[in-house]
Amino acid sequence: MAQVTDPRDGRIRSAVGEQVRRTKRFADETEPAALAILAVMALSLLGALVGFLAVSDWTIVPFAAFLASSAVGWVRYQEETAYLIALMMTVSTILILGLIVVFIFRESIPVIRYESATVYGITVPGLRMFIQPNWDAVSPPIRYSMVPMIHGTVMVTLIASAVAAPLGVSAALFLSEIAPATVREVVKPGVEILAGIPSIVYGFIGFTVLGPWASDQFQTTGQGSYLFVGIVVGLMALPTVVSVAEDALSSVPESMKSGSLAMGTTDWQTMTSITLPAAFSGVSAAVLLGVGRAIGETMAATVMLRGVPRLTEPLVNVFYGQETLTSIIARNYGEADGLQMDALFVAGVILFVTVLVISVGAQYIEWRMHKRLGGEI
Amino acid sequence: MAGAGRTDTRLVESETTETDAVAAVAVGLSAVLFALAVAALFGRVSLTGSLLGVQTVTLLGGLLTALGGTVIAFGVGSRFGYVETNPDPSAGLIAGFGAAVPWVVIGASVASQTLGLGAGVGVVAGVATGAVAFAATVLPREDLGSTVPLGALLGVTGLVFLTGAIGPTWVWELGWAQQAAITAEFLIPVSTLFSALYGGWASAKAYGGFGARGRHMGAYVLVYVNALSIVAFLFILVAFVVVQGIPGLLNGTEFGFGTGPTTSVFGVSVALPVSVPFLMNGVALFNDFQGVLPAIVGTVWLVVGAVVLAVPLGVGAALFLTEYAERGRFTQVVEVATNGLWSTPSIVFGLFGFAFLIPRFGNGKSLLSGMITLGFMLLPLVVITSREAMLSVPDEYRDASAALGVSKWQTIRSVVLPAALPGVVTGVILGVGRIAGETAPILLTMAGGTFVPGSQTADVIGGFQFTSAPPFVANPELLQATSALPYQLYALITAGVGASSNVGNADEFRWATALVLLVVVLSFYAIGIATRYYFRRRLRHT
Repeated sequence: MAQVTDPRDGRIRSAVGEQVRRTKRFADETEPAALAILAVMALSLLGALVGFLAVSDWTIVPFAAFLASSAVGWVRYQEETAYLIALMMTVSTILILGLIVVFIFRESIPVIRYESATVYGITVPGLRMFIQPNWDAVSPPIRYSMVPMIHGTVMVTLIASAVAAPLGVSAALFLSEIAPATVREVVKPGVEILAGIPSIVYGFIGFTVLGPWASDQFQTTGQGSYLFVGIVVGLMALPTVVSVAEDALSSVPESMKSGSLAMGTTDWQTMTSITLPAAFSGVSAAVLLGVGRAIGETMAATVMLRGVPRLTEPLVNVFYGQETLTSIIARNYGEADGLQMDALFVAGVILFVTVLVISVGAQYIEWRMHKRLGGEI
Repeated sequence: MAGAGRTDTRLVESETTETDAVAAVAVGLSAVLFALAVAALFGRVSLTGSLLGVQTVTLLGGLLTALGGTVIAFGVGSRFGYVETNPDPSAGLIAGFGAAVPWVVIGASVASQTLGLGAGVGVVAGVATGAVAFAATVLPREDLGSTVPLGALLGVTGLVFLTGAIGPTWVWELGWAQQAAITAEFLIPVSTLFSALYGGWASAKAYGGFGARGRHMGAYVLVYVNALSIVAFLFILVAFVVVQGIPGLLNGTEFGFGTGPTTSVFGVSVALPVSVPFLMNGVALFNDFQGVLPAIVGTVWLVVGAVVLAVPLGVGAALFLTEYAERGRFTQVVEVATNGLWSTPSIVFGLFGFAFLIPRFGNGKSLLSGMITLGFMLLPLVVITSREAMLSVPDEYRDASAALGVSKWQTIRSVVLPAALPGVVTGVILGVGRIAGETAPILLTMAGGTFVPGSQTADVIGGFQFTSAPPFVANPELLQATSALPYQLYALITAGVGASSNVGNADEFRWATALVLLVVVLSFYAIGIATRYYFRRRLRHT
């Protein structure tokens, strides 16, 4: 073990050393007055952040100091000030992600403690949320199970992927390989506009038109079915799949395609045996991102589902739609407090972690594909 | 065929044009069936009624059977050399799977339901039927393989409709604990739809004479149908909302001087020459016509606030990543973080705003919390698009500027930023379109009230006050709950029937709200897309 970690340790140390040297060089080259102003800016912004986190009324003071020092810096040492401000803005994007993680996790802790379960004599916090299917916030025993919502999300996501993946990949092929330029100029903005239609409008149409129609067709009691929520959500995830898959397909080098066409293949043969295999990982990343969108879709599901957190009977009954992880939050935040509110945060944590894993996975796949395609040319 | 002479070839060619025509008719027939199926699905064609003097179901069945027969005849004719084609030895595995799927469904449902043998036997029978279809597709030469199983599928479906085995009143009770049934109203159009797609695929292959060219035709037909359906879907969706929303929107609209409300422009009060009460009123007891003005103003302020927060942050971050930072761990982490933020579900942003912002801004829902939450949502989009725009600025520009001896920041300010501006602007506009329609984040952070009186229209600029206690600046307008269009629509939907007592016709009111929301969001998109075209054209000219 020691031999394995040593080189990495050394690398980190040398990287840190490099950073220190660079900072020192920067400090040596920069005028002391400019350095002082940069220091004031950084410290005052840090102070403002701390004040904000501590819910202090005095937050405004360090923030004003930051603004004033930035103004002075901007007038006298624009070069250095611009650099520092850009750096701070970059750090803030990471900070926001960090804050989201901290705050939604922190809020969910009490209910995770409450829902502890004992397995083989070991108490596992939060386990009871996943091993029994009861959600009851009113009458004892009060239980906050995530199982019905996970079931709902899985059903909706499966149906949505079945809609969005084939249609989206086919549309991406059309846009990047098949369509004549003029047709593409019409269809492409069309797909973008499809992405722009607010989810609540989809939900409204689903609620007023699709819902009653579906309950009529399938003779169900009341309206709201996973099947139609899934189809609507799939249509909403479609633009994501199309645009990412199109990027992947058009990143396949033209030389590969023309090499194949020169062998006398048809366009379709080139697509199936050259373009699609070469872009396969990018296309699967597109589908993954589409799945991520479908999991996180809220309003259409909230409006179209029944809002009763329970499993459907039998489990494959897609003609009934109970509740998903997203819709339970949107529906219950109003009257919830205490443990129930924390349980909603647990739903949020599950969503956040799942989608983050999907996003990172998709990025890794895309990165590998670019590296490979880049290496092959 | 190898020794075919010149005359022989000509004869064959004239023959193929005729058979081409047959295959083209088959493709056309599939298109007609597709259109009929869609029309029947949405109740535009009644299944119990009749069409062209024939019962609808009988007509569908007849057309399907005819199409299936044509497809099979084409394949068999090609196999025995009556039709000149270039088939491959096998139709391929993908075609095999394509043909197997519907046969699995048919086999399973016939065995388990029609013959009543139970679910276990049904599964076995389905797999067996599918395997037969798969083998029948993959094993024979392509002309038979890609026509016979699909033609048989069409024929079976058609005959089932023709014989009345599945008539307009047919129902299959699923017998589940939560009651559900599959009715003819659903099954007939849907099976016709899929059959038509399969028929179109097979006959397009035949039209192309099988082989590589045939597959090319078959695939292109499906891809074009898909693209066309997506565009058609978009048009129908927008047109539907417009048609439903117009009556409510134009309720009580008046034209003419002095009809509109009075506004002051640069201190001069002007009466607008048009009055659209829906856009210019709130909800009040004594209004002739109710409207959604507070929600519109709320949306505008939300967008302004989110842009003010996210655009400088995002552009600054993109600038640092592209111009200052060397590619390495740090930039990678930031990239992963921004992409992660981009795909984070909107409701999670709402939860975050609820836990983080609300306690810090007066412990209640507020416009300011909504602005910041949406700003956080907009941020990753701004970073990603600005970054792309900056990366696409050619390095020659930077080098040329650096060669003049100016500092890095001056290069960025006077070369990189202006060159990247079009991309950044387009990205921001499209991003704004996206967040303007978001409901979930503001649900938890900002919005309250279903019907908002006009007096509650947020007046942010007039609301600033200076106080002697920290934080010295206060703006009650920013710190109170207000409405926004997407939330208003959600509240109207959930309010249900009770809503009608407040506004004359609740349904009209809802559709009009949806229309206004759609117009607001889509106009952002239209502007964004138009900006992109404008800049692209200008770039091409210079």
